[in-house]
Amino acid sequence: MELRIFQIIVPVLVSGFIINLILKYRKGDASIYELILGGIFWFSVSFFALFPDAISNKIAKIFGIKSNVNAIIFFCIGLIFFFQFKLYSLYKKQQREITELTRKIALKEKE
Amino acid sequence: MKKEEIHIFIPAYNEEKMISSVIKDIRFCGFNHIYIIDDGSLDRTVEIAKKENAVVLRHLINRGAGAATQTALEYARKKKLPYVLFMDADGQHIPKQIQSLMDSMEKNQTDLIIGSRFLVKKTDTPFSRKTYNYIGNKLINLTSKYNYTDTQSGFRLLNKKAIHAIQLNIDNFGFCSEMILLAEKAGLKIDETAITVNYTDYSLNKGQNFLEGIRTIFSFWWKIIYN
Repeated sequence: MELRIFQIIVPVLVSGFIINLILKYRKGDASIYELILGGIFWFSVSFFALFPDAISNKIAKIFGIKSNVNAIIFFCIGLIFFFQFKLYSLYKKQQREITELTRKIALKEKE
Repeated sequence: MKKEEIHIFIPAYNEEKMISSVIKDIRFCGFNHIYIIDDGSLDRTVEIAKKENAVVLRHLINRGAGAATQTALEYARKKKLPYVLFMDADGQHIPKQIQSLMDSMEKNQTDLIIGSRFLVKKTDTPFSRKTYNYIGNKLINLTSKYNYTDTQSGFRLLNKKAIHAIQLNIDNFGFCSEMILLAEKAGLKIDETAITVNYTDYSLNKGQNFLEGIRTIFSFWWKIIYN
C-alpha cells in the first residue's frame, strides 16, 4: 500500500490529541465518558485517514449513495448537525443553571 | 376576594421612566402589596421602586421576563400568598382593570385569568402587535386544548392552586405561552377577560420586536420538541 502524505500527518496529529486526552483524564479535567467518546472519535478519524477509499465506498454502499465523495459529505453534514445540537443543548443547560443561581440569590436576599 | 389578598408582581428591566407612576397608579386603585422583580436593570429602577415602598426582588443579571415571573412564583409559594397578579412595568396595563380580572375569577371559579386585548370590539393595538399576537396565538393554539385570543398578554391573575402548579422553564417572553400549557396540563381552569391597553411610544419600544418574537417562538418550540 502506497502511503500518501495525509495518511502520515493525520495519525501523528491524532496520537497527539489522544495523548492530550489521556493527560486530561489523569489530571481529572476529563471524565471517563469523555475519554472513551473522544478516544473512539479520534481513532475513527485516524482509521479513516489510513483507509479513505475503502471506508467511504463502504458508507456509500450502506446508505445507497452512488459516489463515495457524496457519502462523505452527507455523513459530515450529519455529524455537524449532531454536534450543533449537542452544543445548543449544553448552552441551554448552562443558561438554565445561571437563571436558577440568579433566582436563588434574589430569593435569599429577601429572606 | 379582597383587594388586600391581591399581591401584584411587576417584572421590570430598565424601567426608571415609568416604574414610579405604575406603582402610584396601582396604589391609587387600593392595592398595597406591590413587588418589583428587577431583572438586572442598569438604571435607577431599583432605587425608585424602593423609594415608592415597593418590595424589590433583584436578579443580579438580566435573565428575561419569564425568569423574573418564575422568581415571583417561587416567592409567592414561599410566602403562601393567596393571589398573584402580573402586570407590565411599562405602563400599558391599566390598574383599574385589575378589578375585572378579580370579578371574572370569582364569578367563573377559575384558577388563571388572562387579560385579553382582543375580546373588545374596537382595539387600539397597533398592526405590528396584532400580527405578532396573531402568529403567537396560532402557534400556541396548535398545542393547547382551547383557543385563546391573547396568549401573549402579561396581565394575569393566578390563585393559590395556579401559583403552586406552574413551574416555568422558559426565560424569555415564551413564558406567556408556557404558562398556559402548564396550566392546562395541571388541569387548571383558565379563562380570558377583556381588557384595554394604554399603548404609548415608550411601551411599544419596550415590548417584543420582530427578532425577539422569532426567538420567543423558537425557544417555545424547542421546549415542546425537546421535552
